[in-house]
Amino acid sequence: MPKWAMAIDLDKCTGCESCMIACKVENNVAIVDPEQAQAGRVMYWMDMMTAYESEDTQVVRRIVPKPCFHCDEPPCTVVCPVGATYRNPEGIVAQVYHRCIGCRYCMAACPYTAKVFNWYAPKWLEDSACRPNPDVSLRMSGVVEKCSFCSHRLQQIKEIADLEGRRIEDGEYVTACQENCPTDAIVFGDIEDKDSSVYKLSKSYRVKRYMDDLDVKPKVFYLSRRTTE
Amino acid sequence: MNIPERTSARADSRLEVREGMRIGAGLVIVMMGGALCILHASGCRERKVEQPIDYSHKTHVGTAGIACVDCHQSVESGIRATIPPLETCKGCHSDTPLTESPEEKKLLNYLANGGEIPWNKVYQVPDHVYFSHRRHVSRSKVTCQECHGDIASFVNAVSFQFLPVTMENCMKCHKERNVTNDCLSCHR
Amino acid sequence: MEIRRREFLKIAAGMTGGALLGSHGLDPMFAVPKEVIERMKFGPRVETWKNTTCRLCPGGCGMSVRLIDDVPISVKGNPLNPVNRGGLCPLGLNAVHSLYHPDRVQGPLIRKGSPGSGSWEKTSWQEAFKVISGKLNQLRQEGKSQHVAFLGSDEYGFMRDHIQRFAASYGTPNYFLYSKDSNKRAANFLSHGNRRAPAYDIVNSKLVVTFGANILEEGPSPVYYTKLYSHHNEQQTRYIHIDSRLNLTAANADRWISIRPGTYGALALGVAYVLIREELYDQDFVRAHTHGFDDWMDARGRRHVGFKSTVLSDYYPERVQEFTGVPSSVILELGRELGNSRPSVALCDQAALNHTNGTLTATAVNALNALLGNYEKEGGVYFVDEPPFASFGAAPMDGRSAQAMTQPRVGMPVEAFLPLQECSVKSFSENVLSGRPYPIDVLFLYGGNPLFQSVHHKKFAQALQKIPMVISFDSLLTETGEFAHYVLPDHHFFEAWDIVSNVENVGFTHVAIQQPVMAPMYDTRATGDVLIELARLAEGRVAASFPYGSYDEGIRRALRGVFESGSGAIASEGVGSRWLEFLKQRGWRIDRYSSFEEFWDRLTRYAGWWNPIRSKKHLRSLFQTPSGKFEFYSQTLENMIQAIPTESRDKALRRAGISAGGDTAFLPHYEPVSGESDLPLSMITYQSMSVGDGRGATLPMMQELFGHAVNRHWDSWAEIHPLTAQQYLVKDGEWILVQSSEGTLRIRSKVTEGVMPNVVAIPFGLGHTSGGRYARGHGVNPHSILEGKEDGLSGREAIQATRVRVVAEGRSEF
Repeated sequence: MPKWAMAIDLDKCTGCESCMIACKVENNVAIVDPEQAQAGRVMYWMDMMTAYESEDTQVVRRIVPKPCFHCDEPPCTVVCPVGATYRNPEGIVAQVYHRCIGCRYCMAACPYTAKVFNWYAPKWLEDSACRPNPDVSLRMSGVVEKCSFCSHRLQQIKEIADLEGRRIEDGEYVTACQENCPTDAIVFGDIEDKDSSVYKLSKSYRVKRYMDDLDVKPKVFYLSRRTTE
Repeated sequence: MNIPERTSARADSRLEVREGMRIGAGLVIVMMGGALCILHASGCRERKVEQPIDYSHKTHVGTAGIACVDCHQSVESGIRATIPPLETCKGCHSDTPLTESPEEKKLLNYLANGGEIPWNKVYQVPDHVYFSHRRHVSRSKVTCQECHGDIASFVNAVSFQFLPVTMENCMKCHKERNVTNDCLSCHR
Repeated sequence: MEIRRREFLKIAAGMTGGALLGSHGLDPMFAVPKEVIERMKFGPRVETWKNTTCRLCPGGCGMSVRLIDDVPISVKGNPLNPVNRGGLCPLGLNAVHSLYHPDRVQGPLIRKGSPGSGSWEKTSWQEAFKVISGKLNQLRQEGKSQHVAFLGSDEYGFMRDHIQRFAASYGTPNYFLYSKDSNKRAANFLSHGNRRAPAYDIVNSKLVVTFGANILEEGPSPVYYTKLYSHHNEQQTRYIHIDSRLNLTAANADRWISIRPGTYGALALGVAYVLIREELYDQDFVRAHTHGFDDWMDARGRRHVGFKSTVLSDYYPERVQEFTGVPSSVILELGRELGNSRPSVALCDQAALNHTNGTLTATAVNALNALLGNYEKEGGVYFVDEPPFASFGAAPMDGRSAQAMTQPRVGMPVEAFLPLQECSVKSFSENVLSGRPYPIDVLFLYGGNPLFQSVHHKKFAQALQKIPMVISFDSLLTETGEFAHYVLPDHHFFEAWDIVSNVENVGFTHVAIQQPVMAPMYDTRATGDVLIELARLAEGRVAASFPYGSYDEGIRRALRGVFESGSGAIASEGVGSRWLEFLKQRGWRIDRYSSFEEFWDRLTRYAGWWNPIRSKKHLRSLFQTPSGKFEFYSQTLENMIQAIPTESRDKALRRAGISAGGDTAFLPHYEPVSGESDLPLSMITYQSMSVGDGRGATLPMMQELFGHAVNRHWDSWAEIHPLTAQQYLVKDGEWILVQSSEGTLRIRSKVTEGVMPNVVAIPFGLGHTSGGRYARGHGVNPHSILEGKEDGLSGREAIQATRVRVVAEGRSEF
């Protein structure tokens, strides 16, 4: 059974925000109205954290892309009262929108604040059954949603690999953010496969895991030369 | 500003139920009753669908011996089986009628006037489900009849779901065949 | 989630009615015709991909469009395109939203109310053609064909040649571009003798110093540069960015050196001082291929002061520190690093150039590259060959048009002085308003939005109102387009043909194909074809200007030249530049096509052709200056000044913004920022990648992303350093007023260390009054309060040169 993981190379990433939009377009994530956006209700499955820091005498701007970390021991799934979020056998932490009651316990439990609450369900087209990307369902308002590692792509890739009677190759299942990254900073793949590029990167000396002390075993890790976080 | 502020109405009536729960206990029953009414009214389970032509699968499949895939061409290769376009009908039907059936006359009218036949969809999978015919038919060798019934004996046009499209029915078969029941393998 | 009373009642009413509520009467985000919806709902879900080229900015990135049942669904970067290699910027990824924008112009319109009132009436193409060609013919018969003007913007595909052909045959010299790069072109003309922008070999360089060039965010092609930047670890390239603001390029650079706005030229000369003093410059190159480095004697025996003596006497680090605010120790470090870690290269752009002394700054940075001996060297500066398009020859002219072409151009300043000046919005507006040298009767607007972008927007608006017939080709109305009498909507770029070739600064010859991925959704027409139609309807021999029947046929024929040249290769898998080089050396070609059809078929499939192999140029053929060498001392400029009568020479130099006297006037030097006012702060503006030059603001997703880094959405903000904020009693996030001599902006503050003290940085792109429902009424347009300053040498608007003061709203008077 494969286990999907992502590596983000911060030495390459410029913070251009392409991954955020690639994700948003791919997954039909809602656009909230301007007043509500100002109130902090914008929704990004792939977020970009920016911080200004002083280093020696210089000011540095740090930019870190942040998807869902798909922890191996996710703290969000245990608190869900209705079983609307769970970790599947391939390591993807999934949201089941039709079960979600919108209590937002999981959002509180997530140490990475990777989940967003769907305040609004925009109407994309005159016919509400139509949506920009037909591969991903529209969430109703009042549910929690988050990065799914583009699992809808996996459904189709699995099917094709199955039909052709082979395994999924490394680099065949790509997420939208990875696909459009201008610096190739995002690498995605099966971390159980010793030949995959994500496995090789996971053994790099540059690997950093955020909040490693929590022991939630995130499957998204960063690569950076900087010694400080 | 024309960004939708919020939408409450949608095809999914379960949210109505949920919103009702938040308003107050007294209202819950009323709202759920309402929601169930809607489910009943709009649910496709018992719905009989009218078709523009009373197409007989028996004549085509049973008598003429045409295979399913001859008309529903992407059933083995695509996600949707698709209702055949008029172009497919042209393969056999031409200006001179093959039978004396009044239904064939209707078809010939369509052929003469151009435009597609406004078939009504009977089987519709909800948006949040990924269902691929290709996977079920080509890979897993599920026969058409298992879901759509013994189509060769259907005299009248398809107007109701033989095996209703419900998660219950999906899961039943998945369980019997020992296929994955992971949410993410079908839901999206 | 709360439910308010009103909504509760609605739900209750809906329940008792036994039916679901309709929507809240909210508009959908996308608008598409019915048949597209039908296809989306009932199609067989067949997925296809088609390659084309993005036209949302001049960057020329290849994109693959995902179509389901022939309906565009989303885009991704085309991995085969050599410019972006599969990457795309946020704006490009949003291309489908611009296609389905609900406010697109769906057919030709005629304006009924005052400009900006939004009262338009539909008209037919026939009707519009009748009126416009009637007017064109009338003007031509009266011998006033020069009264017709075309205004375009920087980025152009095949369209530039196309409009030029029409203008020449019809008989008007008035085709001008509202250009951002005129100062770069002017500087290159002074240093190199030609106006072409060179390419910089960043990947092979050890150190890249960017003077205000926000390469990762603003362009010319941000994705191209981002792709190059991603190799900096393997290549061990260091980046140093010099800017007043900590922008994306500065954030990713190894070092950010903050500097006072408008003093970049002084810093470049300070660096030159270090290179010369410590003998770190390329002496062989300077001796053999430059002019005016040492003191020299001209043909008439006059002595001239050289670049070396000027720099050594005037730009010692302590003095440069006074100008720039950069510590002298940093200048020393920068100079030493640049001189010692060869190959190293210096670039300048946006923030450094859009000032009153922009052209001189660019010549100073050119001088740095010359000192480093960078020309035609690995890791240096080089020139890219033009693609071998088939030539259509000069557009045929009859007596009338030939006569009209000799008329003075309208966009030029009335008092002629320096020919370095390109047509500018300012001169154009002044000329139109004064009716000198002659009035303008018809104006065609294609691309660009000067009314939103230009410093001289007030004058330009007046000028637009004075012109009796203005025709816009906007597919989504812009501020400028609101002034048009007729809108003849162009296709969206997903529906039309074009080619983009040799994007500025891209390091190889390339042609990218923009092709329709779907049939046009609305009653729109390709502007190229509209011009062909107008030519056909015109009297005389105008119709002969186009040797091709339609715009796409023209493109096909131009590309036949590429096919026949046999050079380069179609951008397809496995065609790397090294592989091509290897084959070329052995006299082989990778692509052999039996016919043009085969070539065309593959070209449209992959949507790109490129030739990474440059013809090796000899250094002597590189520069077209009077001396045939790189000119520190610009004889070009000197000759221009000499041509002016003696008594008005000083005036001309002053008008060109040069106050230095003697030989220094013709050398790269630092001109203090002109027109200092008593206002204490400098205002700078910049573009973000999401909104770009303001076009991105038409898309809701880009509006939302715009200020994500500072947590501001759908709104502008003003960045202020904590020290400055303290001084003017401004708190983070509160409403402040930013006042210049031209007006006041009300804006929220963002107190951050990512900007130089005494500088207010405001992003450009928001504050639209047109451009559809998502653009209007969000944020402010900083260009609306700019002082009307300009770079004297090139005429480029000085958008970084405005002085302002700030105060917290409601606190006190200024």
